[in-house]
Amino acid sequence: MAITRRELIATMVKAGVPAAVTVSVGAEALHAENIPVPNAAVGLLYDASICIGCKACVAACAEANATPPDTRGDGLHQAPSDLNDLTRNIIKLYKPEDGSASSFAKRQCMHCLDPACAAGCPFEALHKDPESGIVSWTAEECIGCRYCTITCPYHVPRFQWQGFNPRVTKCELCSHRLAQGLRPGCTSVCPTGAVIFGPRTALLLEAKRRIKNNPGRYYQERVYGETDNGGTQALYLSRVPFEKLGLPELGPESVPARTLRWQRRFYQYFALPALFYAGLVQVIRKRLKGHEQEAHEREKQTGLRAQL
Amino acid sequence: MSTATLNNPPITVNKAIDQERWERAVPVYGFPVVNGLFLGLVGMTLLAIVLTAYRELAGLGPVSGMNDAYGWGIWKTFNVMVLTGLGSGAFAIGIAAWVFRRKRLFPLMRMALLTSFLAYACGLLLLGIDAGRPWNFYWIVFPWKWNMHSPLAEVAICMSIYATIPLALENIPPVLERLWYFDSRLRPGVERVERGLHKFFPSIIAAAYLLPGMHQSSLGALMLLAGERVHPLWQSAWLPFLYLGAATFMSFGCVAGTTMWCCLAWKRAMDMEVLDEAARITAWLIFVWLGLRFLDILFRGAMHTAFQPDRYAGVFWLETWLIAYGGWLLHRSLRNHQRRIMFMGYALSSLGGMIYRFSPTTLAFRASPESLYFPSTIEILVALGFICMAVAGFLLVVKRFAILPAPLQEWHDMADYFRFRRPYIRWTGYFKYGHFGENESETDDSD
Repeated sequence: MAITRRELIATMVKAGVPAAVTVSVGAEALHAENIPVPNAAVGLLYDASICIGCKACVAACAEANATPPDTRGDGLHQAPSDLNDLTRNIIKLYKPEDGSASSFAKRQCMHCLDPACAAGCPFEALHKDPESGIVSWTAEECIGCRYCTITCPYHVPRFQWQGFNPRVTKCELCSHRLAQGLRPGCTSVCPTGAVIFGPRTALLLEAKRRIKNNPGRYYQERVYGETDNGGTQALYLSRVPFEKLGLPELGPESVPARTLRWQRRFYQYFALPALFYAGLVQVIRKRLKGHEQEAHEREKQTGLRAQL
Repeated sequence: MSTATLNNPPITVNKAIDQERWERAVPVYGFPVVNGLFLGLVGMTLLAIVLTAYRELAGLGPVSGMNDAYGWGIWKTFNVMVLTGLGSGAFAIGIAAWVFRRKRLFPLMRMALLTSFLAYACGLLLLGIDAGRPWNFYWIVFPWKWNMHSPLAEVAICMSIYATIPLALENIPPVLERLWYFDSRLRPGVERVERGLHKFFPSIIAAAYLLPGMHQSSLGALMLLAGERVHPLWQSAWLPFLYLGAATFMSFGCVAGTTMWCCLAWKRAMDMEVLDEAARITAWLIFVWLGLRFLDILFRGAMHTAFQPDRYAGVFWLETWLIAYGGWLLHRSLRNHQRRIMFMGYALSSLGGMIYRFSPTTLAFRASPESLYFPSTIEILVALGFICMAVAGFLLVVKRFAILPAPLQEWHDMADYFRFRRPYIRWTGYFKYGHFGENESETDDSD
């Protein structure tokens, strides 16, 4: 039986009304979505302008996480060129050719308030602790898809390329040390106090105090991470543009909120796909009846068994 | 349907039955399955399996060119992203035929279902091989562990469900048909199974359209989270939609092009009515898709990047030209049914679509630590080996099951062929029970 125009319109209306309701409900939920700051959010404040580049934090980080020193560069010194499967924390140097202000840059996980790595992680191997806000990785849920290495706007999670049981390495803010009442490895050794640990709110106040007390010292007189990428728990102060330290200007909206808006709206409560499915079943049921009838007619005509 | 009428098929030749019209799927007969090509393909597959074992032990680093900058290599970006796009025929042709009532496309359906199944099987295998910790895939059966907002979870879950349930079930009828012809004693059972299957067909087919629609678009959504790292010519909020659109015309090209190639290789008649219909739809899909793509780029204000002399602009114009020229060739071939031009059109537009689906992850991916990626030999051999497996599977299946469409006469020719030329091949069954109820008594006697 062929579907008539009237039926088609009726079906579309039947499907469309709940669809519209769902979309509007979903849209409501999405507008309400603003990124919550965890109650006990802890973080790091790194002031690039007072970092002397001694790399004590790099060694301390490896020690605190019981990672063997990465001596793959020259076989002698712990001198990794970038974050890697043995390096959760690294000091890099930005030195422009023209002799203008140079700066060290400490790179480690930013512990975003809305982390892109966790948004993309299929089975939530990377997840944000609702209390402390620390983004950590669990081996039991990770399938090793390396999506986190693609999605992280700061390019922090690193995959272990060797061996049959690879791991994803990233700074987890030494959560095992925090549990013992200790500070993260990097902050416990910094000689100049360039990187300090504390509750995010306290760190923000401290950063703003420094900006206020030293007018003209800091780039744009702002704290990177206060609102960038929806806010991060690692905060940065710098003399040189943040982009030079490897911190892209991402705007106040987090990457997942900005890019997955429609994806999230469509899959909200799985309502729209379910609706589509119900509509498709109806249409195909009708088509199938007509098709079977035609097949039987062909069967009579040719004397051969119908092929559906 | 009474068997009485079917036992005595009308002998008169029906004038309505055209000599060229595809009426019936007929196995490719008279060609051996095992030949040089087939052995070569099997050899490549075995090599890939051995290399896979090595990869599982050694890890991804030693076997592939992947690095910290390019976390994804061709296993994901080509075998999954591109090949499942080519293998969306069951989705695209199915929707056109079932939902939009392009009834002439029905003869292509079995080809579409088979190519889709093989492409997805290949893609899923590579997805498993590419995963660093594949043993944790078992979370897939616990829905409360799914991160429903993750495009990758959506792809992995949806794709495995689609390939193993609706798509596999849709591919069952040719197998049942083979069993039906194989031995008359199996018929009651086969018919019972068929009735059961038909009862669930609406829900199966609907799932077979919803799920690919979801994961083919989510494949595009994967790259949304990569943000600025994907060149602005490709990075767009419409990426999921464009990925889905590319999958539709690519898969039309894959199914119709493969069918044309098979018809050439095995000397089958080509039904230009069906092929014209497919080409017309493909050309329209291409033009609409290209229009949307350009509108998207224009509205985002990224058009100027297409005129900068860099490799991104080169890739962009290459894929655009391939798709547009392919679409135009398809359109032109409709005028006087030129098969050569039509095939070229399918090939070029599919190639362009493949490059489009490949670009955001690789060619137009601007890795943040400046780095290069080129697949290693082992990586290429594994990717190729599993494609060879799919091709070998295709060759085996079209020669053993009724997949490839043919004029009605071909079926009778096949029955005759097996009856007179290969009477010792018992297992085809087709020659014995070429017609309804024919030789029914003979079977009863023989046992």
